[in-house]
This record gives sequence, structure tokens and C-alpha cells, in this order.
Amino acid sequence: MKAFKTLERAGVLALCLCASQALADARLEARRHFRSGMSLIAQKQYDEGIAELEQAYAIKPHPNVLFNIARAYQDAGRVPEALDTYRRYVASSPADAPTVEATIAALEEKVKAAEAVAETDKSALPMPPPPASVQSQQQLGALLERLEKAIERAESMPTGGASAATSSTYIPSVLPGVSETAGADDGAVPYEERVVTASRRAQSSLEAPNATTVITAEDIRLSGATSLPELLRRVPGADVMSLGVGSANVSLRGFNQRIANKVLVLVDGRTEYQDFLGLTLWSSIPIGLDEIERIEVIRGPGSALYGANAMLGVINIITQAPGSGPRARFNVSGGTGNSVAGSFQSHGNSGALRYRAAVAYTQADKWSRDYASGRPDIVLRDPDPDIGMRGARGTLATTYTFAEGRTVGLSGGVHRYATEIYPLGLLRNYFMDGLNAYVKGDVELGPLKLKTFWNHISGHAGPQYEAIGQRSLGTDISSNLFNAELLFARAFQLAGEHQLNVGVEGRLKRVAWDYLGPLREELHAAAFVQDEWRLAEPLRLVASYRVDRHPLLDNGTPGLAHSPRISALYIPIEGHAFRISAASAFREPTFLESYTRLLVPVQGVNGASAMTTGNTSLRPERLTAFELGYRGEFAELGMDWDVALYQNRVKDLIVLSAFERLPANESYDPATGNYLVGRSRFQNEDSIYTARGVEAGITLAPVDGLGLKASAAVQNVSSDLEDKEDCGPCSQAPQLKLYGGITYRTKVDLEFGVDAAFTSSTTWIEREPNATDPTILEPHANALGAYTIVNARVGYTAVKNTVDVALIGSQLGAAHSQHPFGNRIERRVYATLTVTP
Amino acid sequence: MSRPTTPSWKRTLGGVLLAALLTTGCESPSVVPTADGRQNLHTARIEGTLVVQSKARGNAVVFLYDVARPPPPAGTGRPIAFTVIPAEQLFGPALTTDTLGPFTAPFTLSLVPAGTYLLRGFIDADTCRSGAQPCRPSDFNPWYGVTSEPNAGDVGGGAVDPTTGATLALTVTEDADGNPLPLTNVSVSFSDTARVPLDRPAFQVSVLVGGDHVVTTGGGTKVLRLTPQTIRGGAVDQAPPGFLVSYVDANKDGVPDDANKDGIPDVWPRVVVRKLANVPGLLEDNDLDRNGILDPDGIDYPRAGSGRDGQPDLVVLAAGLVMDPILSALTDESGNPRMTPVVMPELQVAVRPLALDARDAAAPAPLEGLPQGRYTVVLIQSTGQTWRVPNELAPAFAPAAGLTPVESQAFTLEVP
Repeated sequence: MKAFKTLERAGVLALCLCASQALADARLEARRHFRSGMSLIAQKQYDEGIAELEQAYAIKPHPNVLFNIARAYQDAGRVPEALDTYRRYVASSPADAPTVEATIAALEEKVKAAEAVAETDKSALPMPPPPASVQSQQQLGALLERLEKAIERAESMPTGGASAATSSTYIPSVLPGVSETAGADDGAVPYEERVVTASRRAQSSLEAPNATTVITAEDIRLSGATSLPELLRRVPGADVMSLGVGSANVSLRGFNQRIANKVLVLVDGRTEYQDFLGLTLWSSIPIGLDEIERIEVIRGPGSALYGANAMLGVINIITQAPGSGPRARFNVSGGTGNSVAGSFQSHGNSGALRYRAAVAYTQADKWSRDYASGRPDIVLRDPDPDIGMRGARGTLATTYTFAEGRTVGLSGGVHRYATEIYPLGLLRNYFMDGLNAYVKGDVELGPLKLKTFWNHISGHAGPQYEAIGQRSLGTDISSNLFNAELLFARAFQLAGEHQLNVGVEGRLKRVAWDYLGPLREELHAAAFVQDEWRLAEPLRLVASYRVDRHPLLDNGTPGLAHSPRISALYIPIEGHAFRISAASAFREPTFLESYTRLLVPVQGVNGASAMTTGNTSLRPERLTAFELGYRGEFAELGMDWDVALYQNRVKDLIVLSAFERLPANESYDPATGNYLVGRSRFQNEDSIYTARGVEAGITLAPVDGLGLKASAAVQNVSSDLEDKEDCGPCSQAPQLKLYGGITYRTKVDLEFGVDAAFTSSTTWIEREPNATDPTILEPHANALGAYTIVNARVGYTAVKNTVDVALIGSQLGAAHSQHPFGNRIERRVYATLTVTP
Repeated sequence: MSRPTTPSWKRTLGGVLLAALLTTGCESPSVVPTADGRQNLHTARIEGTLVVQSKARGNAVVFLYDVARPPPPAGTGRPIAFTVIPAEQLFGPALTTDTLGPFTAPFTLSLVPAGTYLLRGFIDADTCRSGAQPCRPSDFNPWYGVTSEPNAGDVGGGAVDPTTGATLALTVTEDADGNPLPLTNVSVSFSDTARVPLDRPAFQVSVLVGGDHVVTTGGGTKVLRLTPQTIRGGAVDQAPPGFLVSYVDANKDGVPDDANKDGIPDVWPRVVVRKLANVPGLLEDNDLDRNGILDPDGIDYPRAGSGRDGQPDLVVLAAGLVMDPILSALTDESGNPRMTPVVMPELQVAVRPLALDARDAAAPAPLEGLPQGRYTVVLIQSTGQTWRVPNELAPAFAPAAGLTPVESQAFTLEVP
């Protein structure tokens, strides 16, 4: 062990021999340069404008910028430069390459003609005398020039996509690589923020019918975050609660809890929400942060498109498109808390086949342990009680493009890991020694897409700490989920432009888990339709509807859940969108809530247990949401912002009932030899909860190298039946959350970043045994103070485009807990080395 | 393509040194208990072996008592914890035989704080395992008063001195830092010699003298008649042939004890008439958490002539067995004390209109007047078995508990 630590420290020393590439908010920065350039070009200040565009392209390459540079050169009459830039544009294989190639040919002809004329001029007769008036001559020349340019533009202007154009942007007709899962940042309008999750198709975030937040790969890199939940703190309205290094619960707009179950988490459209448990096991996801292209967070109901569990929001993690990254990249890091991580990633292609492969290893100690070793009363069940999370994973993603719009994708991943889970009710800190695996296949045939995947999770889990002599709750789990989805998208005209999306889905779930009794199996089906209708600019309507068939929803028999959504978007001027939406969403009962039969030992009374049982007659949790939003931008200043006001009305929350004493003849369990002190059953609450709040976020890139982000969220949750002090969802939701971050990069090789997230105080109502009589199990209020998380990062590029190092300080604020039963979170420092040979 | 070399090794070196400095701390995570109450307790455990020499078969139940609050008959304490060793584990292949043993099995009582304790237990006999007809299955259930004690055929046991048979006081000690130390190798013995002879003293009450069930200050002494009641239904199977009556002879000198020196020998059973809480249900007054200990905050009734003492009271009515028939039954033909127990078909209980605060059982203090409310009649037998009315078999409570209602078990003395 000592030798290992020595090696580990030596590795950290070695990795610091070099240093990191650096950008602040590249998109906003590039966009600022782009808009400035286009403005100058419109004023015929071609040289200055082209310089701005070139700068934008240098910050963040985008093919449409090349197109616009070429157009500017052409307008300026600098045909050779225009030709050169058009050729660079065509080299990026745009979909409108034939049109542009025709333009190139026309320009080449023109050059040749001009050269021929020049040759002819040498032997020609003298020019006729000029017109009588010099002024008239100049006017005529200008007129001819304008006419010529207009004709050329008409000839060369791309044929489609014009509706998305802005007054100051030339837009090629079709862009490459804009799909639902990747490349959406390469939208028609350069550097416009693009999302695919809000409508299951690529669109500007301005056009999204929900409040959306995008976390880019650059955001991830500059944050220095080591886990997905850490990144999500920057999302306005996100409730992130870390209980352990590898265990966090994330909710949106309140209702966070141990086992947060109301937000759907997807990776490239594949669910990572563990349906059987109602939990996203963040540290089990087989994707590394360095494989992520961006994370889209839809703050608000998403059941109209995604069905069950997309109740308070959708978090879609979009990985890098195969073949879009470096051929090889190594990343190692080490730091306090025995934190060690290493990864290798490779992108490549062979003809039409593109791939992305990655392997990685990660481990980190817990922030704190609940119990010491060697106690006379407690046995540590965790195989390694110091480890907070540890995992080795590998992923492979491939795509094969047969023709334009005809692709096949196949990807898979596996993750062997150990982590922590904090279950609900009387259960406390669990370990999980597990395996996650998935295989995903996608077929795209023009407007038709078939998406299939298999998710597997298995492993051994149990309480990390149990009383010596107490019956153990250790358990084995195996869950398999098979999903198939067929999507169809089509645009058509009918009293305006329509964008239609239709889909059907089937899902089979099989769960073998002794907490649930025998093997459980459920078959689900769903269908959805969405139409975006551009009724009359600037007004757009988005209507969505989805119906889900669940095998138990009708009082234990198959039933339907309906999820409608209607949104209106008003975009009166470019870059400013107002939206209003009303939607319904739901969360389906989990296997745990439907089938469990678990006897939890009463602490210190080994002959007694408390029984928790499922309920197959549960209704789904229901949300009715209203939202007003405004999203705007001021590209010239590198600024965008988003404001949302919402009201979420939640009913039928599924909770554990109070313990009820069992009839005398049901109070003994022969299998365990335990007497049952009572039974708690999953049930739908009668209370209706209303969450109201406002969220605001702003991002600025005012000058090169400087990036600023700030957000605030204020919320209040109330109940129609419970007093504030008895209402768990009311007191557990922080009323105020603030986030601020700043990044700065020098022009040479250094970058700095610091961010802070504040969460106001809460009170958690958790069930605990009575101090004097543990057979009495009752709710207990635990006050949790406000806390602020501060992270900082310094990056240094040791060898440009090759070697980067960074020093990261995590949780630099005061030590704190984010849940009464969670780890005491303390400062950690990491160093990272990235080599891209 | 050539790449630029490192522009400044000094900065890199600075980074290296800083990182090295910060990553030297690779110690294990510190131990920080969370707000979970259980993590903030310092406890140990008591573990050892059950040794059973009995033909009875059934689960073994071991109870942990605070030495200061022993169970009946020595006191009225309730168990702090209990554990169950299933018959399958205890008897193994001999489960379906009637061999005497000995049989052994390990047991553990978890999360025990430092202190001194008593261990008592019994084998909850299941005669149905042997195919006997009629038979009685294991019928212990700790959650209801009417099912929480041993019955006829069960085998008693405990942690006792192997030579004297006296109950051992077991101490969980602390180390120098105040951390409790585990108590191991404790032996809990069960033997057929401690087989319970009779069912619990289930009874019904009728008022012999004094009219109805209402006790008033000026109403004079009320005499209650207790007769055995057979109760068979659901989880309850009680068929007491009578009440086990005997002299008290704690020092085993063959002479009846007379602890209060009133000239009347002490006898078993004992009777207590205790006030119930003025809330629906069967909770005892000033013990709303039903742990058998007076609540720290409760009702302090005024004492006769001396006002309130500032502490919650254990209110009882002055009551005792009518001794004449008992003494007659406990006297042999020669007029000598009969020191072996006798089964009597009925008992009479005299209840005086006098309330006492029995917080100090050795010196109960008279209260001013009679505290208003309901009172329960509790009978404690020399075997440690008890019965009380009203209980969960009363029609008002039985359905919720899944028990068969028995009208007689709703009897309550009331002070208006």
C-alpha cells in the first residue's frame, strides 16, 4: 500500500511537468467577434469585418464562418481570396457543396475572363471618351457593381434554411452533422446555442419551448469538475445534494430527496434513470466527463416527449460524435483524498466508418466515514470502507454513413464500479459493488430513425455499517432493460410551416432483486406526437402529446398516463424570445415502490424488524406546470440570459406511510425469525404541493479571454394540507440558490477559473427510531445550515495543443454536509495532466 | 508540424511543487458521524451461547432488562431489547425429536450501552411440530400485552449462576476513554425444570361488593371477584385452570415472608390497580412512551397534606387480595403453612377509595382525593406471568389488533 502511494505521488509529480489549452466561453466570444465582423461587413468595412470573422473562426471553427468570409471577400471584389475561402468551406464537406462549387466555378470563370480581358486590353483601341459628367460616371459604376453583386448573390445563395437566417448572416442551405445526438452546436446561425433535447430535434435554444441550460465541453473542462452532479450546480433551479463522493441526488425546482426520482437523465437519448429503483446512479454511468460534447438540461416537464420520470426536467448528456476528436488523448489526475484518475480516448475514421473509444479508471476516498473500524458494536460490511467511488470503464461508439441521411450507429460500454447509495426510509448508507453495461444501436433512414438499447445493471449491495449480531440486509441485484423507439420527423406546409415529430416506443424491464421477491417483469409502451407550427412570424406554437401504457397504473392493472404540452413562442426581434407553456408530466411507480417487501431490522432489537411493502395500486405522481420565460442575447457584447417563472403543482407524491401495527397473526416472519413492529407502505399522498419560483441566469464574454456566469433561483414550496413544519417537500427545498463563476485565459498559455454556489438552509424530515424505544419509528426534523461551495482551477499549456496541466481546488468553502446523513464535505485538491500527442 | 516548446519552466516547476505539496495528504477519511442519531451512540454488545436442556421445541426468546427494573415477579420492568433464535437454528436436526439435548446456539444483543443488565428468556414451545393433538403453536408476540408472556409448556431461562441458580447481573463496562466494551461468552440456560406450569392468569372481573365499576371517595371499599377466563381465538390461547397462589419465601427458609411486618404473611399473586392515561387506548398514566418508566414530564397530582412533589406520579388505588380464602387454601390440615403453590378458582380484590403515588414502591404516598380517570387491574403471578384488564381483547381495540374481541376484557374501574 505504501509502495502504491509512493507511485501515486510520483505520478502526480510527473504529471505536473507540463500544462492546458484555454478558452473562456468560446461560443459567446466567437459569436461576439462574428457579429461584430458581420456588422462591419454590412458597413462595407470589409477588411476589419473579415478580420473579426477570422478571429471568431480561430476561437471556434465553424464552416458557416468560412462561407461568410468568402462572401465578404466576394463583396469586396477580392475574388482570389474569396475563391480560396470558398474552397476551405467546401473542404469541410458541407451539404450544399455542389452549390458552392458552382459558385467557385463561376468565380474562376470570371477570373479567367478578367485575365483574358486584361490581355485583350493591351492591344485594344483606346477607350471612348468618358461621359460628360464624372458624377454620372461614378453613379453608373456603382449601379453596375451593385447589379452584378446582386446577380451573383442570387446565383450563389443557398436554397434552404433561409428561415433561420438572421439579417446579418449568410446561411448555407444544409449543414453537416446536425442530428439529435451530436453536432447541434454547428447550427445554421454560427455560434448560436443549439439544443436537441427540448423538441427531440436540433433547434436554437431561443426556440426551445422549455427553459434550457447547456453545459458545453469547454464549461466542463474549465470547471475542473470530477463528477456530473458537480457540473449541474450551475444550472438555475437545480438542486444538487452530494451525500458522498460517488453519491449525489439531483432534482430540478425542488423535491430533492434521498433517491431523487423526478428528473430523467439520458446519455445520447438512452436512459440512465434506473427504473427499478427510481434513481440515477451518477457514478455508475459508463461515460467520462472528457467524452461529453455537452449537457442539455431542460428545466421543466418533459413527459410530453420523454414519458415517465421526465417530471421535473430532463438532463441529456450528449457525447462527442465518433471521429470528431483527437486520435489519441491521455488524461491523468491525482490529488488529496487518494483521488486518482486516468483515461485514454481515441477518435478516428476509416472511410464512412467513424469511431470513438475510451477507457478510464477513477477512484476517490470518501470525504468522511460514519463509523470507525474496530468498534465493539458495528461491523463494516463495505469491502473497502474508505473508498467513496472506484471504477474502471470502457466505451466504444461507431457510426457508418451509407449516404446522406442514412447512417447506422452502434455503441456500447461497460463500467465495473464500487460506489455509495443512500436509500430512503430507515435505510442509510449502502455500498454498491456493481457492473453497468449497455449496447445501443441507431439506424437513420432520412426522416425515419430507429433507436434501440439494452441497459444492464447488476451487483452486490448492502448497508455499509450494521450492528454486530443484526441480520444483514446485503442483497444482489440484476436489472435488464430493453428499449426500442421509432421516430419520424417531417416538415410540411399547412397554413404555415409545420415541423412534425412522431414516435412510438416499447420497453421491457426485468428485475431480479430479493428485496422485491421473485423476478419482476414489466412491459411498457408509448407513443408521442409533436408539431411545431409557425403560425405567423414571430409567433410559433408547439403542441405535444404522449401516452404511456404502464402495466399497473389502473389500480394494479394496465393503465395509461397522458402527458400533453402546449407552448407558444414569440420572437419579436432577433435574439429575443418569449415563451409561455403549460404541461403535464408524471413519474411512474418504481419496482421498489410497487413490489418491495423488505424487513429492516430495528436498531438494537435483533428480534424485531420494521416491514416496508410495495403497492401495486399506486397512481403515478403528477405534475401540472406553467411557465413564463424570456431568453435574450446581445451578441455584440457576448451576452445571453434567460429568465423563467414557473408554477409546479405536484400531486399523488409516492411516499412511505407511517408505520402501522400489524394484526397479531401477521406480526411474525418465520423466514427471518423476527417480530414485525409494524408496516410502512408506499402510498400516494393526499397533499397537493405547489412550487413557485423564478430563475435567472446570465452569461457574458465581454472581452477576449474573460467569461462570466451567474444565476439565481428563488423558490417556495407549499402544501394544501400540511403545515410548513410538517411538510417535508416544503422545508427540504432550499429557497435560494446562487451561482457565480468567472474564467479568464491569457492569450498565451494560462487560464484561471473560480466559481461559487450558495444553497440556503433547509430542514430535512427523516424517519428515525425513537431514542429511548427504537421500536417506535417516527419522523424527525434535522436542520441543515446554508452552505457555499467554491471551486477553482488554474490551467497551463505547457506545449501548445499537446500538453496541458491544471491544478484544481474543489469544495474550497467551509466544510459542510448537504444532507443530514451525508458525508462531511471537505476541501480537495487535484492536479491533472492532459497529453494529446 | 513542429510544436512550440514550453515557454517557461519556472511556472511549470511552481505547479509541480504546489501539486506535490498538496497531494502529500493521502490519509484515510476522517470519521465524522452524521446527524443520524444512531451514529452518535456509543454502545457495545452482549453475546454468548444459549444452552437448552429441554424436550420442548420452539424459538428461544432472550430479553435484556435493566438490572434496576427487573421483570415480574421481582419487579415490573419491561425489556429494553430482545432477540430471537429460531428453533431451526437452535435445535437443528433434532427439531422434530423430543430429545433433551443439550442444544446450543450463539446469540447477540446488539447496540447495548454501558450498564448492568439481566438476561431472561424462554422457549416459546410449539407442540404442533411434534404432531401432538391438540397442539399449541408458538404464540409469543411482543407487541400486545395479551400475547407477550410465556404460557403453559414454555420453558423459562436466563443468565444465571450455574451453582446457585441466582440471576446474574451482567455489566457492560467502559474503557478508559469511556467507550463500552463488549461482554462476551455469556451463557443463557434453559431447562425443563423451569417449564411454565400454567397459562397466564387471564381473568374476568365482577363487582362483589360496592355496586358497579365506579370508585368514589365516599363509596367505601369495593370488592372485585376475579375468576379465570378461557380465551381461545386468533392469536390468543389462554386456558388457566385457576390462579397460582403461594406464600412469598424469597429467602427460601421455608417460612412465609412478611416484608411490611403487618403480621400478615406475603402471598402471590399480587394485584395492582393503576391509573390509565386520560387518552384513548391502554396507555398507562405518565408513561405515554410505554417504556415502563415514568415519563420525565407528566402529571403531578397533589399529595394529601403536602402538596405536589414536582414529579410525575405513578397513581394506584389502594388494593389488595382478600386474604382469608387464600390463607385458608395455603394452610394444611395441621394448620401449618402450605409452602407449595395452590391453584385457586377465584380471587377477591379489595379496592379502597384511596389513591397513592407509588413512584417509590416501598413507601407509597397518599394523594389528595382520587385522580379522575380509568384504572386497570393487574394481577402478577409468582411465575412472572401477568394479566390485566382492560386489554387489547376489549371490543374497542381488538379488531384493530386482529384479535377476537372478548367483552369481559373491557372491564375498567372508573373514578368520575
